[in-house]
Amino acid sequence: MLKKPNTEEQPEPLTRRKVLAWLSGFGLCGSAIITVFSNFTFIKPRVTYGQPNRFSIGRPEDYPPGARIALEAKRICIVREGEKMAAISTTCTHLGCIVSSSETGFACPCHGSRYDQDGNVTGGPAPKHLPWYQLSLAPNGELEVDKDNEIEVGNYFKV
Amino acid sequence: MSNQTSTSPWKTLTALPENIWHSVFRNPLPISDLGRASTTFTNFFLHLHPVKVHRHSLRATYTWGLGLISFFLFFILAVSGVLLMFYYVPSTTQAYDRMLDLRGTVAFGIFLRNMHRWAAHGMVAAVFLHLCRVFLTGAYKPPREFNWVLGVILFLLTMFASFTGYLLPWDQLAFWAITVGTSIAGYAPVFGKEVRFLLLGDSTVGQEALLRFYVLHVAVLPIVMSLLVAIHFWRIRKDGGLSRPPEEDDFVSDATLRTSVEPASTPAATVGVQSAARAEAGDADSQPRRYGIQGLVKGPITKAGNVPDRSLFSWPNLFMAELVVFLVTVAGLLLVSVFFNAPLEEPVNIMHPPNPAKAPWYFLGLQEMVSYSAFWGGVGIPTLEVLLMLLLPYVDRKPGGEGKYFSRERLLANSLFITFAILNIGLIIIGTFFRGPNWEFVSPW
Repeated sequence: MLKKPNTEEQPEPLTRRKVLAWLSGFGLCGSAIITVFSNFTFIKPRVTYGQPNRFSIGRPEDYPPGARIALEAKRICIVREGEKMAAISTTCTHLGCIVSSSETGFACPCHGSRYDQDGNVTGGPAPKHLPWYQLSLAPNGELEVDKDNEIEVGNYFKV
Repeated sequence: MSNQTSTSPWKTLTALPENIWHSVFRNPLPISDLGRASTTFTNFFLHLHPVKVHRHSLRATYTWGLGLISFFLFFILAVSGVLLMFYYVPSTTQAYDRMLDLRGTVAFGIFLRNMHRWAAHGMVAAVFLHLCRVFLTGAYKPPREFNWVLGVILFLLTMFASFTGYLLPWDQLAFWAITVGTSIAGYAPVFGKEVRFLLLGDSTVGQEALLRFYVLHVAVLPIVMSLLVAIHFWRIRKDGGLSRPPEEDDFVSDATLRTSVEPASTPAATVGVQSAARAEAGDADSQPRRYGIQGLVKGPITKAGNVPDRSLFSWPNLFMAELVVFLVTVAGLLLVSVFFNAPLEEPVNIMHPPNPAKAPWYFLGLQEMVSYSAFWGGVGIPTLEVLLMLLLPYVDRKPGGEGKYFSRERLLANSLFITFAILNIGLIIIGTFFRGPNWEFVSPW
């Protein structure tokens, strides 16, 4: 913007032209900000096309007592001890690799995090335990896992 | 021909080739200095360059041609990338098969993929070395601060372009490197989870992520980078060409007037040349005349009068040098692409990460740090390093040592930089060679 050199150290008077310039500037900047925000809203999906987070895993009888069965595609491990059942995540809390079952619990191949049988961290860089997910019995007698619903470690579901 | 007034059809016909040639190329091959100047000036591609260039800027041992190599690799990546796009489909069910097709059925397919992959690795390395060169010669000092900032941004964009390209083959390496990389982004405070979700378009790496990375890789990032590269080049000219040691007869504007101007060491060589400090004192008559280019450019100045001219015509000196750098870059890339194939692992198996799962080599230093602490290694320290780099020219403003490697005046800055560079390279070496299954320490021999 071209401005007359201000020889005197005096505040310039607030002219109509100046007020209009400021208002237009605000309008343009505001429009630019709104544009950026609406673009971000556009690229943030409202619907995702991946797997559902709530799904059925079959009947309780499919999991005999003492079983530790990893449902790899669902990224969970179903644990049954007697009448108690739990769904433990197999996604490493460090950086999202899939942990595999080891003799002492779970181990992550990416950065060496190790967990015990309940998913508590026993070594490596993992910042927190493996999440446990809500298990429930659907009316048709099948077990349902809800990965949106995290529960406390050791909070078993009684079959 | 232009000086012929005859309009007979025969004359028009015989003059046609020459007329077309002269309409495209407005200058004959130059034989005089005037011709050399106007050839540079009137050609679209050459006019990016100055008509004359300082001898110091042409020294191969000063620049090592690293900026040019980076640019030429970027150009090769754009060309080979567009060619690869003719066969590639960004779909989880087809992408990997298309990689196999490049190997098996597409003529020169594997060769183009090799060129693209090795040029990408080479560009990351060349841009990093270019950054080291600029730092070690103090070339980020005023008035070149903003061009350094642009360079740092271009370095980050180069890594991001490489990262987005990494997912596209949809093999095991791709999938797990991106799973790890985007999880690191998730650790960033406040916006981490949002950024990760926007990048992936889902909560895990899948079809949405592949499409998004493809769009970023083939459209968004190349366009942004081309624009920034153009500004980067433009700023070189406007900031007074490449950095070089100051000379006695340099024009010193009020803004950059140095507190002390060294006295001329060899009086015979500077007869008639007065220091700018004396000009300030009003001794203007004995001054050689100086002309600013259009009065708009801060640094460079056209000198007239009895001033030693240390510049050479860009045609042919600079253009030959650039051609040589281009040919060496292409030759090197072709050689590597003939003898080494770009890796392609097994197709994605989301249940079984490879053990160990490793990111591309230039991120292995990051991955090594991440194995100690996800936040500090993946977000905290890298962010601090980037902020330091961006702010550097505004923090270190003391003049001195520009245009010289390992200058004594810049001992502290250079030592700090070299320490940081060696630390990062060391982490990359550890991550590459000394980490085995479960990221446990292994000996490579």
